[in-house]
Amino acid sequence: MSSLVSFEQVSIGHRRGEALLPPISWSIGRGDLIGVLGPNGSGKSTFLKTLLGLLPPLAGRVVHPQGRPPRLGYVPQSARPDFAYPLSVLQVVLMGRAAQLGLVRRPGHSDVAVARRQLEAVGLGALADQPFRSLSGGQQQRALVARALAAEPELLVLDEPTSEMDPAAEHALLSLVGSLTRSRDVGVIFVTHEISSAAGFGRGAVLVDRRAQYFEAGLATELITSERMSRLYGRPIEVRREGDRVLVWLAAHHEETR
Amino acid sequence: MSFWEARFLWQEPMLAAAIGAALLGYLGFFVVLRRIAFMSAALSQVSGLGVAVAFWVGSFAGVSPHEATPLWLSPGLYAFLFAAAGAGVMSLPSRSRRVTPESAVALAYLASSALVMVVLSSPRIAQEAHEVGDLLFGNAVTVSRDDLYELAVAAVVTLIAHGLFFKELLFSSFDADTARVSGVPVRRMGLLLHLTLALGVAVATRALGALPVFAFLVLPAGAALLFSERLKVVLVLSVVISVLCGTLGYYLSWTLSLPTGSLMVSLAALVWTAAGLKRLVDKLRRAA
Repeated sequence: MSSLVSFEQVSIGHRRGEALLPPISWSIGRGDLIGVLGPNGSGKSTFLKTLLGLLPPLAGRVVHPQGRPPRLGYVPQSARPDFAYPLSVLQVVLMGRAAQLGLVRRPGHSDVAVARRQLEAVGLGALADQPFRSLSGGQQQRALVARALAAEPELLVLDEPTSEMDPAAEHALLSLVGSLTRSRDVGVIFVTHEISSAAGFGRGAVLVDRRAQYFEAGLATELITSERMSRLYGRPIEVRREGDRVLVWLAAHHEETR
Repeated sequence: MSFWEARFLWQEPMLAAAIGAALLGYLGFFVVLRRIAFMSAALSQVSGLGVAVAFWVGSFAGVSPHEATPLWLSPGLYAFLFAAAGAGVMSLPSRSRRVTPESAVALAYLASSALVMVVLSSPRIAQEAHEVGDLLFGNAVTVSRDDLYELAVAAVVTLIAHGLFFKELLFSSFDADTARVSGVPVRRMGLLLHLTLALGVAVATRALGALPVFAFLVLPAGAALLFSERLKVVLVLSVVISVLCGTLGYYLSWTLSLPTGSLMVSLAALVWTAAGLKRLVDKLRRAA
């Protein structure tokens, strides 16, 4: 499996700030499907921003074994795009071509063809010319996945794409991403609050907790366990696998005060 | 003398109103969607401060506001430089959670409005202050040939800059995070937008006045966004509404002998209200 991005003893954190976690050595390659879990404020976003090249490492090296950064597809947190803009679904998806086009150049016929193909792939082909803001929340998320795929990414990054969606919609979106990327030889990493999503869709997992100075990466089946999840979120959590299904319980917390 | 017979009197102001309104109507698209309406109002005041400072500096060189000034004392240049500096400062990312962007904008608005008065009250230029007030904030009635040229240059510069980078400006406004990941220089695009805005505001404020400038930056684009969901339609509509309010306002003020700037603003507000009502009716009809 060819590696796309490798962290060599990388300290992550905000510019001129302190390192949030102990130095990280980790890598992601084509075909990887990795879920990132951690409580709020655990450093998940900082980790992702460093991976995306939006934040420089405070120490250590971010290496691109191909000799260049991978082509990125990015699906932002669901509330990020501004829905006041008068854009059609196709116009939004065409933005995914920005990296290929570079500055100044406008999208041409081939870009429109790519965008339409991705919209077909996420099942929104018929809505290409509708206003983006008229779509339902789930459809908008799918359109944003199409936009990320229109970049023809080698690495697809989803930053809590479903933070305002119900678990069923989140599962639908992630299984769509899983099926769309399986045949494309793409590395996928997604941040989620749903343990069952990370366990159900991720082959790999990354657990992050700044307060405990904890970072661990490995196979989802080995990392997403009752014991580790309870430690990560600070409350009793039970994870059970039954065939393809992963069941997660959050036990009531006795000492919880409101 | 009929309106048409008097055209030698109104040709230039009318043309200035049309160019200024078109430029501001277009920029309004970004002003409204990026929610920086009050930043544009602050830039008007900051550019006014630039003009006042130009006169003040000119008084040392013995130049009166009514004479032709050398370029380094040109009020237009000072207006733009002040507005550009203001736009640059207001483009800086807020590092402190204690300074909200609005309060920084309010500071720029208040400080420059107050400083204009202080500078104009300086004994060096006090006797000119009355006329300077008009020169600072324009009156849309009398427009000099220079104002017209400056407006045309601002419009052409903005057209070129935005024509080249519209895709990037749109993407980074709509979804800055993803644009940054896609290699769009988001911070520089924000600066480009703010600088063209500063240019448009600085030049148009001197020709049309602060209130019409603020109105043309907010109301036509706001109305266009209520009328349509299509990008191109919104852009064209915003410019057309703006130009119509500018020219019609000028015509009506001539024929009805009412204040020009106020009529332009009232017309733009009327269009916005009509757009809002249409939207409301559409919604009710859909609900029924």
